[in-house]
Amino acid sequence: MNWFMDLSNSKSVGLVIFFVTFVAIIIYVYGSKSRSERLESYRNIPFLDDDENETGTSSKEGEK
Amino acid sequence: MAHSAAAPMEQYNYDIVKKFALMTLFWGIAGMAAGTYIASELAWPFLNFDIAQITFGRLRPLHTSGVIFGFGGNALFATSFYVVQRTCQTRLWGGKLAEFIFWGWNGALVIAGLGYLMGVTQGREYAEPEWYVDLLILVVWVAYFLVYVMTLLRRSQPHIYVANWFYLAFILATALLHVFNNLAVPVSLFGIKSYSLFSGAQDAMTQWWYGHNAVGFFLTAAFLGMMYYFVPKQAGRPVYSYRLSIVHFWALSFMYMWVGTHHLHWTAIPDWTSSLAAAFSILLLMPSWGGMINGIMTLSGAWDKLRSDPIMMFLITSLSFYGMSTFEGPMMSLKSVNALSHYTDWTVGHVHSGALGWVAMVSFGSLYHMIPKLWNKKIYSEKLIYIHFFFATIGILLYITALWVSGIGQGLMLRAFDQYGNLKYSFIETVVFMHGPLVARAIAGMFFVAGILLMTYNIWKTITAGQEATAPETAPATA
Amino acid sequence: MMKHESIETNAGLLIILTLAAISIGGLVEIVPLFHIEGTVEDIKTADGKDAVRPYTPLEQLGRDIYIREGCYNCHSQMIRPFRDEALRYGHYSLAAESQYDHPFQWGSKRTGPDLARVGGKYSNSWHVQHLNRPRSVVPESIMPNYPWLLKNDLYYDDVQGKMKALKKVGVPYSLTKEEYAANVEKFGEEVASLLDINRAETNMVEQAKQGNFDGNPARLTEMDALVAYLQVLGTMVDFSRHDEAEFIKFR
Repeated sequence: MNWFMDLSNSKSVGLVIFFVTFVAIIIYVYGSKSRSERLESYRNIPFLDDDENETGTSSKEGEK
Repeated sequence: MAHSAAAPMEQYNYDIVKKFALMTLFWGIAGMAAGTYIASELAWPFLNFDIAQITFGRLRPLHTSGVIFGFGGNALFATSFYVVQRTCQTRLWGGKLAEFIFWGWNGALVIAGLGYLMGVTQGREYAEPEWYVDLLILVVWVAYFLVYVMTLLRRSQPHIYVANWFYLAFILATALLHVFNNLAVPVSLFGIKSYSLFSGAQDAMTQWWYGHNAVGFFLTAAFLGMMYYFVPKQAGRPVYSYRLSIVHFWALSFMYMWVGTHHLHWTAIPDWTSSLAAAFSILLLMPSWGGMINGIMTLSGAWDKLRSDPIMMFLITSLSFYGMSTFEGPMMSLKSVNALSHYTDWTVGHVHSGALGWVAMVSFGSLYHMIPKLWNKKIYSEKLIYIHFFFATIGILLYITALWVSGIGQGLMLRAFDQYGNLKYSFIETVVFMHGPLVARAIAGMFFVAGILLMTYNIWKTITAGQEATAPETAPATA
Repeated sequence: MMKHESIETNAGLLIILTLAAISIGGLVEIVPLFHIEGTVEDIKTADGKDAVRPYTPLEQLGRDIYIREGCYNCHSQMIRPFRDEALRYGHYSLAAESQYDHPFQWGSKRTGPDLARVGGKYSNSWHVQHLNRPRSVVPESIMPNYPWLLKNDLYYDDVQGKMKALKKVGVPYSLTKEEYAANVEKFGEEVASLLDINRAETNMVEQAKQGNFDGNPARLTEMDALVAYLQVLGTMVDFSRHDEAEFIKFR
């Protein structure tokens, strides 16, 4: 425990904390197929309040 | 289909978004013109004219506050209020409170800006406003937090779209930074002067923790929120990977706060803080580039838009500059590189490749997208957007190149020794060397200002004389 | 494992976790610095007193003018431990040397040279001439002229208020007899009397008169104060009394 409290080790401690959290998030986000699908479905939120013919993947914006 | 054009106008509070959008242009012109003027003062010092109020030292804070908090701040208020309403499909909470934010924020900027000219400053970079302005900003910020979160809470979507996460992180982080970096004791309750609570090394750490994270959360995270909404909308395609955006968000939020000390390499602070910051600065490259890739790849399959759509050109170019400056930054945070680059124009060039290339370009793109929708008008001239894009790009490229020459050149000259081991150049010889690049930099600034003036004209004509957008706001080609 | 979905759909949770993420870095970096003993050198003079002292009233008002004019936008006050900087500016800066600086003025850009040890390098009259019209002494200089410094009388009605505010943030100026005695102990009699808030105006006028910083003893101008400040920068530590090894452990 003292090793963790020693300020000169804070760099290593920081890296460990960071790395563990990072790996956990990666596993969570990419780990399960159904969860991936659910997450990716949120991509379309910005398009939900538009007209029926503009749903994310299909339309083009014809602002010319 | 005409009804769908009118519906958002009633459903959403666009009035406040419009105000902020127009103020963005006002502060953009004021701040960038001030920047070009002080750049010219460095090239041609007679421009100081012996007038105290416009000397470089007093005008520079007006430039930095004007562009960061005036231009950037108003752009963020405008887009965040637009994005939160549209992605939550609900009207902005708070009514008059949003008005207060508008007047409070811009009033604070005016008070602070006039103060700088009179020599009223805390003497802390990017946190120059004195204590009473800081208090006003704090109140405005609490109101902003309230309006934003209350709007989120009454969303009609279960999921909070990722752009809002970035805006939220920006609001929270800015509050923390603002409060801790501005802790000060006023000389008297009715006086303007105050002294910072911390001193020396601690004060330096606090200030650069603030200074760097103002870049990290004000100028990066928040504008990433802008990116995550406006790039997909303008491209007409959803963001490349939502999962990547989640990783991007958490990694960025976590890591940015660690790296401020790289502004203090080789100074009188303990070495470990400096090395820690350098290590995290390198790691920060990962989320930064993850975000950039996510933005640019959104366009995959529709690359032709890069040729045909000038708004898209702004947005994608901004992401490219984001990628470039988030590569340059970690490199400059290496202690060996920093030894040369620190205190020189290289740093200034780096900041501007981020500020002009990323922040300003993504804001221009978003405003060009948003303003016609707000007023339900067609853009007055697409051609002017093209011209603006080329003015801006030429300006940035010239700016960065000039300051690479000036900064690296000065850095090398300052550490050059002659054959006897004496200094080869005096300081003033480096100043003489820098004259050419500084002239080029001032011209680069003029290009950029010319660009935003064109934009303002274009927007003005769009609002006052532009055609009504007859079709629904997104005018689908299939309709 | 907690479901990420509950974060995405719960604004409160999102706020808390984001706050946690952004707080860790700042805490890890800054908090240790407040254990001041480890980060700031304790430097003594030959007779065992503190070498680094707070600014005199005149110097402090000069420092306020330095900040007012935004000098920090172009001048640093932080010499780094490199050979070229040692030759150009002098010994690298110590944390102790800015321990009474509220705010610090280390700067981030050298459009002009570093000023951390500018004190004593040039004469008072050089500084006056240079501040008034830089190009009259350095033809290639790009610094603005500051002619108003000589014209403006120094405003010092609030000097005691300023010192009291600085005292609140930790600068050892003295108000009471006890505080004065503590300063005598810490800095010696001569310095302690300069740090006495009750004598601020007298001390200031006296220092300006004796120093004659602006070349005109009859008037107390802003130039007096600014030059007094510039002339004290970096002069408090006598480096001939120390060897390098003493400072390394603070880095």
